[in-house]
Amino acid sequence: MNKRRIWAIARKEWLDMGKNKLVLAMMALLPVIMVGMILGTTWFLERTPEQDFTGSDSIALPPELAHLDSKTGTLILLNDQYMFYLLLIALALPVYVASYSIIGEKETRSLEPLLATPITTAELLIGKVIVAAVPSVVLTWVSFVLTAAGMYFITSTEVVAALVRPVWTLSIVLHSPLLALLSTSCGVIASSRLNDPRAAQQVTALFIVPLIGLSMAVLIGKIYLSTTMMMVATVVLVLINIGVLWLAVRLFQRELILTRWK
Amino acid sequence: MIRTENLSKRFDGLLAVDDLTLEVAQGEVFGFLGPNGAGKTTTVRMLTALIAPTGGAAWVNGHRIGVEDQAVRASIGLLTETPGLYPRLNAEQNLNMFAQIHGVEDVPGQVRTYLTLLGLWERRAEPVGGFSKGMQQKLAIARALLHEPPVLFLDEPTSALDPEAARVVREFVETLKGQGRTIFICTHNLNEAERLCDRVAVIKQRLIRVDSPEMLRRGMYDQSVRVWLRVTPPGLLDAVAALPFVNAVSPTEDGLRVSLDDPETNNPSLIQAMMATGAAIQYVEREKQSLEQIYFDLLRESEAANE
Repeated sequence: MNKRRIWAIARKEWLDMGKNKLVLAMMALLPVIMVGMILGTTWFLERTPEQDFTGSDSIALPPELAHLDSKTGTLILLNDQYMFYLLLIALALPVYVASYSIIGEKETRSLEPLLATPITTAELLIGKVIVAAVPSVVLTWVSFVLTAAGMYFITSTEVVAALVRPVWTLSIVLHSPLLALLSTSCGVIASSRLNDPRAAQQVTALFIVPLIGLSMAVLIGKIYLSTTMMMVATVVLVLINIGVLWLAVRLFQRELILTRWK
Repeated sequence: MIRTENLSKRFDGLLAVDDLTLEVAQGEVFGFLGPNGAGKTTTVRMLTALIAPTGGAAWVNGHRIGVEDQAVRASIGLLTETPGLYPRLNAEQNLNMFAQIHGVEDVPGQVRTYLTLLGLWERRAEPVGGFSKGMQQKLAIARALLHEPPVLFLDEPTSALDPEAARVVREFVETLKGQGRTIFICTHNLNEAERLCDRVAVIKQRLIRVDSPEMLRRGMYDQSVRVWLRVTPPGLLDAVAALPFVNAVSPTEDGLRVSLDDPETNNPSLIQAMMATGAAIQYVEREKQSLEQIYFDLLRESEAANE
């Protein structure tokens, strides 16, 4: 594995990405919407009277939050759900970049000269994965920091403390890279097998479904996330990533791509 | 430097290259001619270790295709029909990446050398998407040469260019001749092949013929000379036809066409014999069949043989 070659690919992709306004806009928009939505909703609910959170149609708090008033408990559950949305940044952005980066080579017909160099398939794909995953992870982390900082000014200390508790800090730190890696590998697989970036993005969008399901279970109080659950999720994600990355390298067949792409 | 033995490639049911055996020496400029779909690009892709042969074997710079693919790719430069550049990046950035991938030690120095050599240094900071096709192709040539490969593959290097840009690219390839590089050119342009190549191969799935343009001519056609005359005396035709080394003689509008053995040796005797009859000779010129004519005749012969 030659680091210089991987870095050369990553550097070129970042330079190219920096000059592509559409990709930059897509990358900036999602985190801005997510952070704005979380802070806006919390600000609005914080100003809602306490009695509106009680009554028969209020959310049933799990035992872990039973000692809190309904408003604080509801805000914590709501923010737990929102943290899944922040993880969506790590899942949604890389596939867009990754699928574009391989199929983009097809559009500029630059893949043949590139494949005619000593670069190995693994080096090429790792370079592409880094390019797509790193900005997405950084944006997820920055979004988390901005959300926590914003919460500090607009809500109670109990809600802020729940937001930055180990479950979410660990999840954002560990899961966002793993989700970004998974998403990128899927984007690479899809784009090396498909000719259309949109099709590649749609395939990867399927991974969002279990994340949304989990967030709904949290919101309705069926699950209260613990550190143990998050560590198990980490192990599962690591195993899935290893499998998918292996598959990405195996499925990226130079000959098939060169002879099929017209 | 390049050697193939019974090299073949089959895509599903389609035989793209069949039983190709050839050898290209170090420093040779070798032309690969054939109609569309003849297997030229497939052969280049096999020789650049981009696709795997389905039969036979090949070596480039001593490295076997399919066994030492990374070593093969490290020792070649490839110029494809379309330049395949990154349009949003500038010329320098486009070359930097390839120099780094090839492990060039002095990346800025080497990039500067080739950009200067190809007249692009002043425009190094401009996005290449705004370059003309000729400039893009020149940049692609620079990219193929950055790591100083001993073997260069040029796949239809001028076919997508206007005549002026094609001339610039052709002239640059001419400057590469004699630098010790082995150059393998696929082209449709027979004038280009004649001008640049030491030897040419004509293929249509199978190798039809390989030789220098001159030897192809000698192998396929009579040796003829054309004589322009100011005065044609009576009896000239009979006198020329009687010469022992003359195979045929025919009048033309302003002189004669004479088919003879070994013109280099026998031309002086032919001229003396003609002058002895009182002929006033203006010019004598060896008749050359164009490479284009040879190419079409070879393809026709091959088709006839296959029927």
